[in-house]
Formats: sequence, C-alpha cells, structure tokens
Amino acid sequence: MSKEAQFKEIFQANSKKIYHLCYGYTGDDETANDLMQETFMKVWQNLDKFRNQALISTWIYRIAVNTCLSYLRVEKRQAKDELTDTIIETRGEEISEKNEQVSTLYKCIAQLEENERIIITMVLDELPYAEIAEISGISEGNLRVKIHRIKQKLTELYNRHERF
Amino acid sequence: MKDFEALKSIWHDQVALPKVSHEDVLKNLRKTRNGLASKLLIEMIGMGIAAAVLIYVWIASPFTMWTTHLAMIIFICCCIYYILAMISNYRRINYDKLLDKPECYINHLKKYKHDRYIFNTRKYKVYSIFFTAGFILYFIEISFMTSLWITVMGISFTFLWIALCYFVLMRIYIKREEAKLEEMIQNLERLHKQFEDTDQ
Repeated sequence: MSKEAQFKEIFQANSKKIYHLCYGYTGDDETANDLMQETFMKVWQNLDKFRNQALISTWIYRIAVNTCLSYLRVEKRQAKDELTDTIIETRGEEISEKNEQVSTLYKCIAQLEENERIIITMVLDELPYAEIAEISGISEGNLRVKIHRIKQKLTELYNRHERF
Repeated sequence: MKDFEALKSIWHDQVALPKVSHEDVLKNLRKTRNGLASKLLIEMIGMGIAAAVLIYVWIASPFTMWTTHLAMIIFICCCIYYILAMISNYRRINYDKLLDKPECYINHLKKYKHDRYIFNTRKYKVYSIFFTAGFILYFIEISFMTSLWITVMGISFTFLWIALCYFVLMRIYIKREEAKLEEMIQNLERLHKQFEDTDQ
C-alpha cells in the first residue's frame, strides 16, 4: 500500500474522533479544523517512523493531545459561551432539539479544565481506559478516579444548563 | 435530569464533521514544506554568498594588518554561526517529541521557550558584539587606506545599522515573541498544575 493510500485510510478512520477531541478542547469549529489538520500533517510526517499498526490510534491521539496543549489562543477567546452556529450541520427541524443538546454538551465541556476536556472527549468516544491512560500519560488507577470526577462534573454542568 | 449515559448518547448523535479532507491536508503539507524549504534555502544561499564574498575579499585584497585578518575570521565565523543556528532551528522542527507523554511534552515546550529566550537575547548580544568588534578591527586598516571622511561615513553607517538592529528591530521582535511566550508559560503552568492534581 502506498504512503498516500495508507494515510487516506488512517485519516478516514480517525479524523472524526480527532476533530471531536479538538472541538471539545477549543470549543471553536474553525480552530478545531486547524488543529485537526495540524495533527494529520504531523501524522503524515511521522508515518514512516511508525511501525506498530495496532497502536496507531493511540499514537494519533497523543499527537492530537500535544497539538491541542501547545495551541495558543491568539484572540484569548473563551470558548465557554461563544460556540459558533456551525457546530452542527442542520438537517432540518426534526433534529434541532438534538442540535441544541449537542451544543449544550460542548458548552459544558468547554467549562472543564484543559486536561479534563481531552479525557472526557475520549471517554465519550468510548476509547478503552488503558488507551486513554497511555495517551494522557497517567496511571489507569488515577485515570479511573479522574474520569469518575469529570463525569460527575459534566453531568452536573449539563443538568444545570438544561434547567435554564 | 440526564445521567452520563444520556450525555454519551447525545455525543454519538452529533453530526458535526471536520471540514478538512485528507487531500486538503496533503495539499497544505506540500505548500508548507515547500515554503519552509525555500525559505531555508534562500537564507542558506544568502549567507553562503556572504561567506563566499568575505573569503574572496579576504584572499583578493592586499590586507596587511593582522587586525583586518582577524576581522575577516570573525565575520566568517559569524556567518558559520548563523548557518549552524539555522540548521539547529530546522532540526527542532521535528515531531519526535509529539509522541511523548503530555507532561514530557510540556517540559519540552518549556525548554524550547527558554532556549528561544536565550537565543534572542544572550546569543544575539554575543553575535552583535563579535560583529561590532569585527568592524572595529576592519576599519583600522581602512582608515589608513582611505580618507578620514570615508572612514567616518563607513563607521557611522555600519554602527548605526548595528544599533538599529540591536536596540530597535530586535527589541520589537523580542517583545512580540515574549508576549506570545508569556501566554504559553501561563498555559503551561496551569496545565502543569492540572497534571499534578491528576497524579494525586
């Protein structure tokens, strides 16, 4: 398989999740696209170095996490209340309530601390705990405690948001 | 009231998709890589030409004083230093560190920030001092070869240019970069604290 074909396959399998991770971290559609693009540019540049195919998603996630962590908010924008309308591609009236819910969920994620945002987007995307621990560089025991706290925090934030 | 499972279900129902395709990534990558390579190449050629001209002048001109020979050695060393610094900067644009654990990566960024500060201040100062010393040594012989007026003009323009670079242009550049780095430090410290909390 050519490098380009391999890259295409990797991109298609991972881009959506990486985009969600970047979106969860920045709360901004345009920046999320930029960070995702930057992540995959780095993936391409390192593709030859990577041999263990079984761990490729962990590897891509780690690049994405580090890309997000080193991202500087040039405009000092606070994502919390400024989620753009482009967050969801509207497919019609019938899903507008779902759009609203997704929008609220992103707003709540934006209120978490940086590392919590990253961890929770991976939990929501159902990555195995072992893999999340490997990506975020913390022990699985600590991670479980951390996840438990973040879940509670996010649920509380969401329910508080929904009441208003 | 929703529980976490309900939030997970909302998450999976989202239809937000990235607006970037793999072709866009590759297109952008080629553009960036070519841009970086040509910028590096232009700088290398520029400095290479400067070094070649200096060597030619050194060999072709009948300099008699040891001060001029020393000045030429200093100039050539400055050129070599510049080229080495450029190569080193280029090497730092490698992404091996991106595979580190986040905490190690943060440490890498902190080190990078520190190194950039040293490069922009201390190393640039040493570079300017050597350059100035080179010109002082060079103008000793020139003062014997040309009229006083030409020597004074040459010295004035040269040192005005060095002073402009050191006191004005470089300070603007450092100020801009420091503002950017300051934000990075704040982010890193906050993140570092978060990771420390995680380990407890």
